[in-house]
Amino acid sequence: MKLSRTKSALAEWRPTPGNAWDASAAAQLLRRGGFGPRPADLERALDEGVDRTIERLSEAPESLEENLSGIHSLLGVGKISQLQAWWMSLITGGGVPLVERMALMWHNHFATSNDKVDDVRMMHRQNVILRENGLGDFRGLLRKLAKDPAMLIWLDGDANKRGNPNENFAREVMELFALGIGNYDERDVQEAARAFTGWGTNGRAFAFSPDHHDTGEKQIFGKRGEFDGDEALELVLNHPACREHVARKLIESFVDAKPEGAAVRELAGVLVEREWNIGATLDVLLRSELFFQPRVRRGRIAGPVEIVAMTVRCMDKSIAPSRLALAADRMGQSLFRPPSVKGWDMGRGWINAGTWLARHNELAAYVVDSSGKPRATLGSAFSKRAEREPSERVLNTLFPDGTDRAYAGAMRTAADACTSEQQALAQVAALAFSSPEYHLV
Amino acid sequence: MPSTRRQFLINGIGVTASLAAMPLLPNALARTPRKRERVLVVLQLSGGNDGLNTVIPRTQDAYYRLRPTLAIGSNAVHALDKNYGLHPSMGALAKVFEEQKLAVLHGVGHTVQERSHFRSMEIWHTASTALPLADTGWLGRLSDQISARSPGSMPALHIGAGTLPLALRGHGHLPPTVRDPKGFLLEPNTPAFASSREQLLSASSADGDLDFLRNSAKSTYTAAKRMTELTSAKSSVSYPNTELGRQLKLVARLISGEFGTRVFQVELGGFDHHSRQAPAHQALLGQLSNALAAFQGDLDESGHDDRVMTLVFSEFGRRAAENGSRGTDHGAGAPAFLMGSKVRAGLHGTGPDLTQLVDGDVAVTTDFRSVYTTLEQSWMGMKPSTRAKALPLLG
Repeated sequence: MKLSRTKSALAEWRPTPGNAWDASAAAQLLRRGGFGPRPADLERALDEGVDRTIERLSEAPESLEENLSGIHSLLGVGKISQLQAWWMSLITGGGVPLVERMALMWHNHFATSNDKVDDVRMMHRQNVILRENGLGDFRGLLRKLAKDPAMLIWLDGDANKRGNPNENFAREVMELFALGIGNYDERDVQEAARAFTGWGTNGRAFAFSPDHHDTGEKQIFGKRGEFDGDEALELVLNHPACREHVARKLIESFVDAKPEGAAVRELAGVLVEREWNIGATLDVLLRSELFFQPRVRRGRIAGPVEIVAMTVRCMDKSIAPSRLALAADRMGQSLFRPPSVKGWDMGRGWINAGTWLARHNELAAYVVDSSGKPRATLGSAFSKRAEREPSERVLNTLFPDGTDRAYAGAMRTAADACTSEQQALAQVAALAFSSPEYHLV
Repeated sequence: MPSTRRQFLINGIGVTASLAAMPLLPNALARTPRKRERVLVVLQLSGGNDGLNTVIPRTQDAYYRLRPTLAIGSNAVHALDKNYGLHPSMGALAKVFEEQKLAVLHGVGHTVQERSHFRSMEIWHTASTALPLADTGWLGRLSDQISARSPGSMPALHIGAGTLPLALRGHGHLPPTVRDPKGFLLEPNTPAFASSREQLLSASSADGDLDFLRNSAKSTYTAAKRMTELTSAKSSVSYPNTELGRQLKLVARLISGEFGTRVFQVELGGFDHHSRQAPAHQALLGQLSNALAAFQGDLDESGHDDRVMTLVFSEFGRRAAENGSRGTDHGAGAPAFLMGSKVRAGLHGTGPDLTQLVDGDVAVTTDFRSVYTTLEQSWMGMKPSTRAKALPLLG
């Protein structure tokens, strides 16, 4: 019997007349590889093509060094709100788009909360690890985080001692960080916890206490040895489930919340072939047929940080990052404070009556006041191509993929009822921000 | 029509809601007969309330020895019985006690030697001392059961400005947080804006996540409208002009207005008094007492008192001995309160014996989980979270 050769999902995408490099495709790349287009970005992307647009996702803004170091003088104050505002400023444009995208993904993956760590310097240091290693070798990232003081406090490293092991880190490294449920058993967790005994903190630094380390023989994934923490970590990284766990995470975050097994396996193969380099693996994913399928575009419910960032970027507005961080908090995502080690509940988990109310109010407030009058911050947003109808100008910016006719018609009616052009632009933008369609990205 | 979809009526408008969106729809708005269902209000005192200066063991010499500057004189307290009295600033709550609507539970807590606020709160919230930490809290699990029995309800609400407490996290849903004591406030909400917003929501057909988001939006707007109606109605009951007073007033309005929510969590923070405790603690206990008494009075007046039970707890009490800064450090067992006209009023359990401290702490004599079972099973008629036995605390 002859098997038909299945087409590779990761084959490089070639634009066709039916699926062209158009505003919709460019917006997909800019929304997922970064935090959405600024007004001029789409046209530039269409001029420059897909390769150059991908390259630009990794380009640094001129003031990157200052933007990154701006937080140092404030760390001593010890306020998490300042760290949140700083990260928000990098996400909305002060940082490298793809780097910040990845840092946010890893923050949700290696979710650590300041509510327990209670130390802004340590949270900052972990964030730097995510930023500097997020696109590098996954193995290196995991090794660094395993010895990161914030992580050690978060998952009770200090309490993990010979004779009285604390399994918290050993369990999460298998369940959440590297393997996934079903790929290990309780014995593996208990034995790995013994291997990690003695890993703790001294002040804000990693410290190994030989006195607390269990030097005895352990059995992990069927292998026996007097493993220490480093060796236990290598066993986890060499477990066949690890590559697929990482590959699945990448597809879930960048393409589709419910990836197909074949695509996961294929990307896992790429990951190993590229020596676990996340950036190189992602490069294949972002250029793939899989990524550019029309089916997946505008198919995810945006997270709070994401929707706030996309909104200020599309209007090209500068709004105090502390305000943006607070808005995301009200929508259910307080940076550096995920609700548990599992991170935030994504997708529909973002939405309840309270968080929807916050999305409605916070985003609309960037363009109108509570009585519906245009805000000064609206400024010249949506002012380009003045020959067009106001509602059309706003919708073209917010929905490069287009909207259905009934939606556009209702917006035109709303705009027509306004007394000035500025009022119409603000009204349509506020209505769009508070409409469900806008929250699918 | 596919079996996963159902017709609901929201203010007379037919809405097709997918199952996933239903938990957002307030009960009071679905066209179902209303029952006078029981309600649980949980008030969390965050930071570790000093139980010994709340329910004062006024006849124990050891109390006066251990607390040379912080002890409260026997004659200054509001006597509950011959051995115990409430803090002098809690006169209003003492009156509720006289009216037989308050139960004082001695020595409630868990026996894990854990003096971290974070960890102790996790234990209280999840009703478990086990690690890894459970994903859900006891009130979330209770709300899941309420949702299963009456789909389409908004079973629980978190009232306050902070992030959603773990206690309220369920398997099926995360309850909304109501930040403003006036309820959900939509801004902007001018007639023109509201009418365009409405039109956009039904401009075209939708499925999947778009359908889910639209239903979420619709039920949010309906709930906001209902809350505004309830909170702007005139009332003769006066509450103290404090955040807690305003929050409990909102809860009372939602209950008497048959909004449909059956579990509320409210918080009062600031109890972590490591130094110069006396004035700050006095102020907080006064706020607590006045707001609770006003809340109970409001329910009494509206006739909903027989279906509401309020639990007041803190993550731990404080050390029996005061520290060197006229404050107290993190301790263990502490009193909890149950308030309502259906409670067995009085003092319950074994009071603290300050000559028999456990590692410097008041002993835990009542497992907090047995209080939960009492509320989950005996009060709400649901399956309890744990195997702890219910206590005979209801009248």
